Amino acid sequence: MISEAARRRYQTIVPPYVDDAYALARWLSGSSVDAEDIVQEAALRALNALETAIVERPRAWFLRIVRNAALTWMAKNRPKAVVMVGGVDDLAAIETFDPAAGERSPEALLIAAEDGDRVRRAIAALPTPLREALVLREVNDLSYREIAEATATPIGTVMSRLARARVALAKTLEDKS
Amino acid sequence: MSQFDPRADKLLRLNAALDDELDAAHRLDLDREIAQDPHAAAALQRLSVVSDAVRRHAPREAAPASLRASVAALGSPRPAARRAYFPIGAALAAGLAIGVTGPLVLGPSRGGDPVMASLTGDFARAELSGHTYDIASSDRHVVKPWLATRAPLGVEAVDLADKGYPLAGGRVAVVGATPLPTLVYQRREHWIAVTELPLSLEKAEATPQAGTLDGFRSLRWRDRERGYVAVSDIDSEELSAFVAVFRAAIGVNGSETH
Repeated sequence: MISEAARRRYQTIVPPYVDDAYALARWLSGSSVDAEDIVQEAALRALNALETAIVERPRAWFLRIVRNAALTWMAKNRPKAVVMVGGVDDLAAIETFDPAAGERSPEALLIAAEDGDRVRRAIAALPTPLREALVLREVNDLSYREIAEATATPIGTVMSRLARARVALAKTLEDKS
Repeated sequence: MSQFDPRADKLLRLNAALDDELDAAHRLDLDREIAQDPHAAAALQRLSVVSDAVRRHAPREAAPASLRASVAALGSPRPAARRAYFPIGAALAAGLAIGVTGPLVLGPSRGGDPVMASLTGDFARAELSGHTYDIASSDRHVVKPWLATRAPLGVEAVDLADKGYPLAGGRVAVVGATPLPTLVYQRREHWIAVTELPLSLEKAEATPQAGTLDGFRSLRWRDRERGYVAVSDIDSEELSAFVAVFRAAIGVNGSETH
């Protein structure tokens, strides 16, 4: 039984972010149809949680539920797709740009960056932890602090995942041109 | 824990600069490093090309209308319950208030009313910090539009200088996630803060209810479609006198405009 108070709080917290939720769910699951189911499930979880939850940053709070619902959904339906890469949070494991790249012409990257399909394929190929950090930043436009809340991850880890995601994208786009 | 790696560290800082997450001092340091290091400049350019490409080719698309509708429907009160508590007029008014401001986002109250605790805390912070108002003006034509652009309710900014309570300014109190317009009046060396609440969360009666929290006095009441909370460090009799003056003034203004 959901109280009227929880329903009223739900109305200010959840519906305004349904586009953000849908975008995140789509990038995590790789499917628009699945994304709808995931957001539905997340909305229901949010409504139940709002009986007691204290919400400071509504968007990050709801996207965290969406993200968890998406990961649960993927673990159940497509277990092979959830790749939690070992050592993904290790700062020293960050692949930095090759210093020689400074002398390389940025032309290949610039050309590849114009090809929408290639860019989207490269995002989809990122390991989940890197992809979710990148999507929350570039698609949902969350701050580092909000991403940390949405992914239940320390801010330093958010930073290293975001950096790795961008370096990986740059390399993928350059290499295959 | 991993060892400090200057290259990885620089890459993180380049990303943070791109995301506008560096404070001014760190940004300045980084700008100096970039100026002396062509590799760093090239790396920043590549990161920025990637970031821009993702934003252009993976825009946030709107959720399908059916999904939007079903998510919104989850939060709608059950029709039978609504008819049971509200006459239709009140239900419409409450719906309007929710549309404009939304209900407050509050956790369960820990021994006491969270709205009162929040507003009293707000008053105490304002007093202690000396930051009593965000805009200092005794001109209600200045205070009212200032508040109107920052908080969703249409507050009546009345000056009560002729009654002994000059308007000192306005500020925005925040309860949960909702900004609430607050008028600040002066009484000798004391301040009185009057915050307007949307009716959607207001449970006060027309008769002011007195309260005391952390040594501050409060009165909470409801006039027409608005709830109000007055918080001050003056004594409760004086606060009651002020509230009577304030309500009379609001009533006069209200009858002129309606």
